[in-house]
Amino acid sequence: MSVFVSCTKGRLISGEGNLVPLTVEKNGSLPAISINGSMFHAETFGNPADKMLVILHGGPGSDYRYLLNCKEFANQGYYVVFYDQRGSGLSKRHDKKEYSIQLMIDDLQAVIAHYRTSPSQKIFLLGHSWGAILATAYINQYPSAIRGVVLGEPGGFKWQDIKDYVNRARNFRFTSEALNDALYPDQFITGKENEHAVLDYKLGLLGATDAAKDNPTGNGAVLPFWRAGAVVNKALFDIGEREEPDWTTNLNQFATKVLFAYSESNKAYSQAHAQRVSAAFPNVQLERIDGAGHDFISFPAGWTHFFPVALTYLNSL
Amino acid sequence: MKKNQFIPALLFLLSSNIGFGQAINWNRINEQKHIVNINIAADYALNYATGYAYKIKSKRPTLLNAEYSFSSGGNLADDFKIKTGTQIRWWQSGNFQVASKLKAVFRRFHNDYARLLNFGSDLSSSAGYYKHHWFAAAEIGFDKAIVTHFRHSDLYKANFPGVRDGWYEPSTGGNFYYGLQGGWSGKNKDVYINFGKLIQQDFSTAPMIPFYAEVGFNLRLK
Repeated sequence: MSVFVSCTKGRLISGEGNLVPLTVEKNGSLPAISINGSMFHAETFGNPADKMLVILHGGPGSDYRYLLNCKEFANQGYYVVFYDQRGSGLSKRHDKKEYSIQLMIDDLQAVIAHYRTSPSQKIFLLGHSWGAILATAYINQYPSAIRGVVLGEPGGFKWQDIKDYVNRARNFRFTSEALNDALYPDQFITGKENEHAVLDYKLGLLGATDAAKDNPTGNGAVLPFWRAGAVVNKALFDIGEREEPDWTTNLNQFATKVLFAYSESNKAYSQAHAQRVSAAFPNVQLERIDGAGHDFISFPAGWTHFFPVALTYLNSL
Repeated sequence: MKKNQFIPALLFLLSSNIGFGQAINWNRINEQKHIVNINIAADYALNYATGYAYKIKSKRPTLLNAEYSFSSGGNLADDFKIKTGTQIRWWQSGNFQVASKLKAVFRRFHNDYARLLNFGSDLSSSAGYYKHHWFAAAEIGFDKAIVTHFRHSDLYKANFPGVRDGWYEPSTGGNFYYGLQGGWSGKNKDVYINFGKLIQQDFSTAPMIPFYAEVGFNLRLK
């Protein structure tokens, strides 16, 4: 094996910066904020005095790169705040045992506090997929804290709904290229529980299945991303399995209209599912985004439909 | 890696080192020299395989094996695995027999983001009860990804331009497996099943499919 050693010295898959980019702690050139005991990759667009719109990405463990179309709200009078959630994207990594749903809610609270320029500044949330669940968990905890919310295809606000949706979204044929492409790397790459660079890379490789024709979520193309957050993804799913959370208990106190968008092409997300999940809010504008799949915010067909609807909704509040 | 280093390394690995696959009825090992095998397996992913084993003259029953498998999907050529090696029955007491396999593994994976080439090893031992018409055994083994070459597509580089292509070493991964195998043997054929659990080398994490299962057919020829 010495021939291999001689030509690969120092090239470790666990090495930060080899197969995945460095996070904010190790790359000082990235825009970052330090809040709530961690360091977050974050940036803003627009006038800080305008109404604040906080963008919440999905996953858990994705990053905000695929939602950058939302910068356009900055040209429409919104102060748009993006951040990679704890352990996601280019934000700092933590050990698996440190993650909790409450911590993710506290982080959001801290992000809002960090960027808020006045007590009277209106705060809006725009969450996609897991980000929409996080936004709802936040509202459930602080029903009077925000002025309005745009929710894009959350799996559910009760664990069973989430589980059912995820199972449908991952329903690939056992013989399919996409499923086997997702499974095959397990024999090439293995990582320990907190070996972030290895696990993030491996999860990132899975993203290629977004483009598969038989992917039920209907994107038809891959999403841009910086770096997957495998450990936070696993940690939050494990917490969900263990605690079976229900984030609907106080939603009846949120009387403001909610914009709830779902996509036409996501076969795992039916109109009936959208109606059942959104019914947790007392006042809902349900919108189907035609010609697009789960990540309708990222692709032109979905964005051109979604943006004017979302803007009209936000401007109405 | 320079070409003149790569070829000897490849030959060394392919000649020195075998996992589940090609279950043998050691009770019938002296009846033929050639075994042709086909199998279908959940082996990390869904794989189809064909193999060949040749019995060499030796003090202990010994087979030289080669196996080619590819994963299911629209593109059958992009993800595959070649195993070569030897299989030796080194202990026998009546119908109880113990055998070991040592295989070199070359595997390839490709998707829209990356192409991975890996050299690894697969070591396993089995102990069981072998009769003329049937056999049952337990096996335990370790599948190691020793060194892997990563090459990324422009699509991945659009996400991370700084990605470092090349050989990564030491080991990029490894999985232990343990399970059972059993089969029926006819005049010149065996039908067998292997199944068991997979666990990563840290002994706490499981692959996405945390088990393996295989159904195979051997044709024995003189």
